[in-house]
Amino acid sequence: MKRVYLFCNAGMSTSLLASKMQQVANEYKLPIEVKAFSDSKMEQIIKEFNPDVILLGPQVKYRLEPTIEKYGHLGIPIEVIELEDYGNVDGERVLKRSIKLIKDKEKQ
Amino acid sequence: MFNKLENVLAPIAEKLSKNKVLSAIRDGFIISTPLIVVASIFLLIANFPITGYPEFMAGIFGEGWDGHLSSVVSATFDVISLLTVIGIGYSYAREKEVDRISGAVIAFVAFLIITQQSYPEYVNEAGKAFKGFSFGNLGSQGIFLAMITALLSVQIFAWVKNKGWVIKLPDGVPPAVMESFAALIPSAFVMVIFFGFRMIFQVTDFGYAHVFVYKMLQAPLMGFGEFAAFDVIYQFLSNLFWFFGINGPAVTNTVFRPIHEAMTIANLNAFELGEPLRYIFTGPFRDFFSNFGGGGSTLSLVIVMLTVGKSQRMKQLGRLSIVPGVFGINEMIIFGLPVVLNPIILIPFIFVPVINSIISTVFMSMGLIPLTSGIALPWTTPVFFSGWLSTGSIWAGVLQIGLVALGCAIYYPFFKIMDNQYLADEAAPQEKIKDELDDISLDDISFDDL
Repeated sequence: MKRVYLFCNAGMSTSLLASKMQQVANEYKLPIEVKAFSDSKMEQIIKEFNPDVILLGPQVKYRLEPTIEKYGHLGIPIEVIELEDYGNVDGERVLKRSIKLIKDKEKQ
Repeated sequence: MFNKLENVLAPIAEKLSKNKVLSAIRDGFIISTPLIVVASIFLLIANFPITGYPEFMAGIFGEGWDGHLSSVVSATFDVISLLTVIGIGYSYAREKEVDRISGAVIAFVAFLIITQQSYPEYVNEAGKAFKGFSFGNLGSQGIFLAMITALLSVQIFAWVKNKGWVIKLPDGVPPAVMESFAALIPSAFVMVIFFGFRMIFQVTDFGYAHVFVYKMLQAPLMGFGEFAAFDVIYQFLSNLFWFFGINGPAVTNTVFRPIHEAMTIANLNAFELGEPLRYIFTGPFRDFFSNFGGGGSTLSLVIVMLTVGKSQRMKQLGRLSIVPGVFGINEMIIFGLPVVLNPIILIPFIFVPVINSIISTVFMSMGLIPLTSGIALPWTTPVFFSGWLSTGSIWAGVLQIGLVALGCAIYYPFFKIMDNQYLADEAAPQEKIKDELDDISLDDISFDDL
């Protein structure tokens, strides 16, 4: 099971996107788990579940640098979700993006 | 111009979020929030704003039915400083990368060390002074001292620990035992230093750190919270950040939250005692009287999109956003319309909340609707209910509906410009821009290592 975890301030709007992404993943029977959390829980979640991809909502884009500084060494791809995909709650595109990140990491 | 402003605001947001002290305060309050909301429900049941309700309840459960409910309220609101000191102690220990529960409890003890524990003015039958902690010191009046104590005690704790002044035990000792011995000397430092503070305040006119911090820091800051433009400044800044795609309140709350919190609990204590409420700009006011449907008060915009939107894009976005919008979530609008860096929508996005805030403030200060009682509801509580329950007056809910309608009128002309633009775009034949993601087919994905 691959874990794609989304973080934003309260984990509210990201949870909408996460459930859309999960829907798409289930439709195609992909072994992917998509979940959303509040960014204050990030450390705990990373420790406990070791996610394969970390995506930040664009509204907490300013936390990208600190997040990479703190967790970049773990080798987990960390990215901010594209504005447009986020606004349209485009689960399919964000899922594809996550898959690409996982694949790129596996290639290394 | 936007670029220049963004170059100023984005680093501010990053600096604030990187700052360990501010993150610890923010996350520390988050720890106590669920408790406050649950306790508020008890308070709401005890004081449901419908005429005849108390008599009805007394008829079923007997006189004094609400007394037991208020014990839950006291266990959270009256000891809010303890929750604050534990919450911030815990989260600051996390930031400082020392044992968290040790950080939380050492902060808690440090706070109690400097708190008054004996009341010579109250004596029992044997003539002995009453001993104990009073709610007066553990409640809203101690919030700022609680913050300072948590930060200072964990700071000392972490400093001593990082100096390596700890008792080391041989290998093979269980880690839990190791941890408690490792915390021994750092804890001793904190306790001795706070004992020192206690003795210093004893010889001053203040007597206790509580009195000093309340008079010198908390009262002046809450005075700023009574300043007429307090909420306007807050709303303006929060929504300005949102305009640049940055979660506004997450940034502004790092500074404003302690003031909001102190005023909310002060109102709540007055409400419980049946005294007049004092502060307009409480947390519930911040959450429920300026922004309806999320930052920029976009519920109004969504309603306009749904009802008079002509372009496919507006209609679709309206349908997508209405349900989350009712619960105050609007990232779809912020990033999907988009609001971010969109000069057309800037004016209503910033000014609708400001106008809402001014009108609500005027209504409250003229006594047309009551002030918020301090009852904390989740910020996702829908419009009308949030106004009604947070003030106890149905008219506050009606005011909210009126403000949403006013917001529709203000948003309309700006919305129209964008709607026409999208209509024109949609009429022109479009070539879909492809990118690498479109090449990925979800049908034939495999993960090798599963």
